[in-house]
Amino acid sequence: MNRFLTPSRHTWLHRANPSLKLAVLIMLFIVTIQTRSIDFAVYQAAVYIALLFLLSGYPAWKVGLLVLSFSLVFVSSSLTMILFGKGDHVWWQWGLFRVSEESFYRGLHLGFRAIAFAAEGLLFVMTTPSVKLFYSLMQNFRLPPKFAYSFMASIRLLSIVWEEFLIRRQALRIRGVRTGRGPSGLLQHVRLYAVPLLSQSIRRAHRVAVAMEAKQFSGSGRRTYYYPSAFSRYDGLAVLMFVIALTAAYYAAAAVPWFGIEDVRYHGQG
Amino acid sequence: MNSSTMQMDRPKGLKLSDLLVTILLSLVIGVVYHFWGSVNDLFKPLFFQADELMYGMWFLASTLAALLIRKPGVALLAEVAAAHVEILFGSEWGLQLAIYGVAQGLAAELIFALFRYRKFSMGVAALAGMASGLGSFLVDVYYGYVTDYSTWMIVLKYVMRLISSAVLAGYLAYALTKALEATGVTQLLRPVTAKDYEALDHD
Amino acid sequence: MAVSVTDLRLKFPGEKAFVFKDVSLSVPAGEKVLLLGPSGCGKSTLLQVLGGLIPAVIDVPLKYADIRKPRSCGYVFQDPDTQFCMPYVDEELAFVLENRQVAREDMVPRMREALGRVGLDLEELHTPIERLSLGMKQRLALASVLLLEPEVLLLDEPSALLDPEGRQQIWEAVRGVSAGRTVLIVEHRIEEIVNWVDRIVLFAPDGSILADGKPAEIFTAYRRTLQENGIWYPGVWEDYIRHRDTWNSGLVQSPQQGADLAAPVLSLRGFVGLRGDAPAIMVEEAEVYAGDFVAVVGPNGAGKSSLLLSLMQLLPTAGSYVLEGRLLKGRGRKRTCPSDRIGFVFQNPEFQFVAQTVLEETAFSLHMQGGMSRAEVERKAEDCLKTFHLHGLENRHPYQLSTGQKRRLSVATAAVRRQAVLLLDEPTFGQDARNAFAILEYCEALRRSGTAIVMVTHEREIAELAATQVWEIQGGSLTAIKSGRRRLEGEGAASDAQEEVSG
Ligand SMILES: Nc1ncnc2c1ncn2[C@@H]1O[C@H](COP(=O)(O)OP(=O)(O)OP(=O)(O)O)[C@@H](O)[C@H]1O
Ligand SMILES: Nc1ncnc2c1ncn2[C@@H]1O[C@H](COP(=O)(O)OP(=O)(O)OP(=O)(O)O)[C@@H](O)[C@H]1O
Ligand SMILES: [Mg+2]
Ligand SMILES: [Mg+2]
Repeated sequence: MNRFLTPSRHTWLHRANPSLKLAVLIMLFIVTIQTRSIDFAVYQAAVYIALLFLLSGYPAWKVGLLVLSFSLVFVSSSLTMILFGKGDHVWWQWGLFRVSEESFYRGLHLGFRAIAFAAEGLLFVMTTPSVKLFYSLMQNFRLPPKFAYSFMASIRLLSIVWEEFLIRRQALRIRGVRTGRGPSGLLQHVRLYAVPLLSQSIRRAHRVAVAMEAKQFSGSGRRTYYYPSAFSRYDGLAVLMFVIALTAAYYAAAAVPWFGIEDVRYHGQG
Repeated sequence: MNSSTMQMDRPKGLKLSDLLVTILLSLVIGVVYHFWGSVNDLFKPLFFQADELMYGMWFLASTLAALLIRKPGVALLAEVAAAHVEILFGSEWGLQLAIYGVAQGLAAELIFALFRYRKFSMGVAALAGMASGLGSFLVDVYYGYVTDYSTWMIVLKYVMRLISSAVLAGYLAYALTKALEATGVTQLLRPVTAKDYEALDHD
Repeated sequence: MAVSVTDLRLKFPGEKAFVFKDVSLSVPAGEKVLLLGPSGCGKSTLLQVLGGLIPAVIDVPLKYADIRKPRSCGYVFQDPDTQFCMPYVDEELAFVLENRQVAREDMVPRMREALGRVGLDLEELHTPIERLSLGMKQRLALASVLLLEPEVLLLDEPSALLDPEGRQQIWEAVRGVSAGRTVLIVEHRIEEIVNWVDRIVLFAPDGSILADGKPAEIFTAYRRTLQENGIWYPGVWEDYIRHRDTWNSGLVQSPQQGADLAAPVLSLRGFVGLRGDAPAIMVEEAEVYAGDFVAVVGPNGAGKSSLLLSLMQLLPTAGSYVLEGRLLKGRGRKRTCPSDRIGFVFQNPEFQFVAQTVLEETAFSLHMQGGMSRAEVERKAEDCLKTFHLHGLENRHPYQLSTGQKRRLSVATAAVRRQAVLLLDEPTFGQDARNAFAILEYCEALRRSGTAIVMVTHEREIAELAATQVWEIQGGSLTAIKSGRRRLEGEGAASDAQEEVSG
């Protein structure tokens, strides 16, 4: 399904406890949300991108590709604000488009912040398999097994649903169905695939629930774990590193400001 | 034979199968939406902000799951699970979507709760979808400074979003539910009715 | 009493007929009971009620005067594909151990031991379950039940998909673990266990209990009942051969026109089917003629299903493959085969289904064929359903059938179209005697009308009775082709087909 998203090597960040990593990244995330200074946003984005290259465990070209795709994020986060945002010092106006100094910087700020978010998210995703996260939430943070296993089982069922989709295609081929091209073919596709796919997923999920309960899964009681999830020195290292990264971004913004705007929000009379 | 009544009042909370079905459905829809993203990109050049017209797709998971399973908590869970797929797929929007997911899911849940989880019509679904739209607006305000847009832009953007929510999360979810009911699969999800129990007494 | 239920009534929502109407059954602790009955009589449903899955997890309306459920029970479900909740073998087994709070250090040794007992020898425990053959999956299911160490074992046709050796093995394993436990077994093929169980409960098609007693009594006193209801009993094959006409429901046989009998319909040379990059099946040379009945035999995981999938081009293939005189061009995934000339029945019946009701499902193939009016299609479909004892179920969703019924439906949907070659992957598993013979007869009729039949089967009797060729698959290649002895008519196949066509 996502072979592209399998790391080629494991860095120490992969070994840090997933729930802890999640907690730290959520903190960073909150910091980024609260950021109103454009320079701080820029440096956060830069620092996290650097960490991506260093610690994601993916070859540089893959990380490079992903970072390139950030430009799209940047454009779509900032453009609307730049073109249509409120502001008093108008630079350029054409029809409905109205670029002002304030809206321009606010847009840039939104863009850089979106990149920072994206990099934070990828730092987590690229170093933590989802299944491990749920194992850890269950063991270290008392997430009820009922929820954890529902998520884990569903994530895995996803690939089975995909298989089922392929099997259905095979079955239709064997039974002699040929769908046309163009809009009518598309409609036929929806009818032949969409509803059956959903109903199959429901049946499949229900069956797994039956199988789990038949294996004496209680959903809440005590249990042991095949994959242990514990805390280690890598956790301390991870916390330390993220704190240093954030501090570095903060002081860099103060020492080498590019824009020097402290708060980008609109305060004028509009 | 008083066992039939005994069978009727089982706990009403979410069973393991409810959880699994809700989450898997949302994941599947999440994946569909993920690939739908490319369709979305086709819309974009059509006219500015046209992608808002597809926005309601995000709320489909929660209304569809709620219409199918009809229990408290399902709408919220579905929305969070759908956002989870995006994170799973390494989307650039990953973490932000978790926040949106919670806000939108809560909003939809609120609507179903207002109807005390008794009414699951197309209208209620559309309302729930629009509530999710509103929820996303609140997050946008805090997070994307959308109130700093020109006023006409705010109106245009969110009216489109509301329309799309009503159509996709309301009408489409309802139509899908009906189609799924026709396949008999909902029999697995819904508790057996008293009528079915009564049928046991007749020969 | 370990398990018991009194006056059980159960009816699926919206159905007219009861599955059970005031049925009572009680099993004392430690007893080994075999539940025997025709397909669709409710055996699987009963096990689920006794084990408590209905109505706790599967909501079905039911009532009873009294029920006693065991404290813990282990299921082996009928369909191997439905019973796993984890993607890897070790994780699946670990799930059970985790639930039972077994310490982590003990997990791997316990897994290995359980797998050894069911004869599933995997070098690497972390193997994806989807890469196991169906028979291997069934063994894994039993292994995980062994790890549960339940008070009561509920086994729903655990040996249906296994090779003869595997059947021995699994019953030995069951015997090994069942000391001191209560065991309820549903099984159609009973040779290996009739002498072991303490008691047989015989069900009628309507779900009522016909007889209940010691095996010896049942098989002597109720022989006629068993025959009338089409239930397996030791010696049923001999009776079948002797009285074929009474089993045979008088099938129409219309010879195929223009079938060229001199040339093979299907010929393979240096043919390889690939899974990933590795060959899953290799065939050096083989030919199938019109009127042939090829029985494909071999142990679980040998590559029988892979062979059929490759013949359907559902796996990428290489090598020469000639179908009706035309060489299939291309290589790997590019190669496709004409679906109107070759038909296929998946080993897992659910893979076959594309429509929402049983009737639509059957009519679907006919519609695809074209050239028939709606009414005609419907009539034909109805006929076909009757042949396979599926009438009365027309409006049901295919998934809401019993396993045996699903299997029959999948055969019916593939067989209504007349193709030059029909490939069937274990079409008789999970069938009662009547339906197994009906399927065999149907294939036989098709064969006589000129269709070449290629059937994967673990049923020694089918290979002996009906096959004109027996292909032995071993370790991923076709190792031997033997000509069949065909005890059905006792003559060569091609010649007899020729007579039918010309005569
Ligand atoms: N979901 C359902 N809705 C309606 N009817 C059903 C459903 N599931 C099963 N049935 C019917 O209930 C009856 C009993 O099914 P069950 O699976 O218990 O049969 P069985 O004795 O195990 O048969 P087999 O030997 O073929 O496995 C069958 O006639 C079947 O068609
Ligand atoms: N999807 C798959 N991916 C990879 N390997 C597979 C897959 N399915 C089966 N195999 C492997 O291919 C080999 C042949 O499998 P196949 O299903 O053809 O066996 P079979 O002879 O039909 O067995 P059975 O009698 O149990 O159905 C087995 O060793 C199995 O592990
Ligand atoms: Mg059954
Ligand atoms: Mg097979």
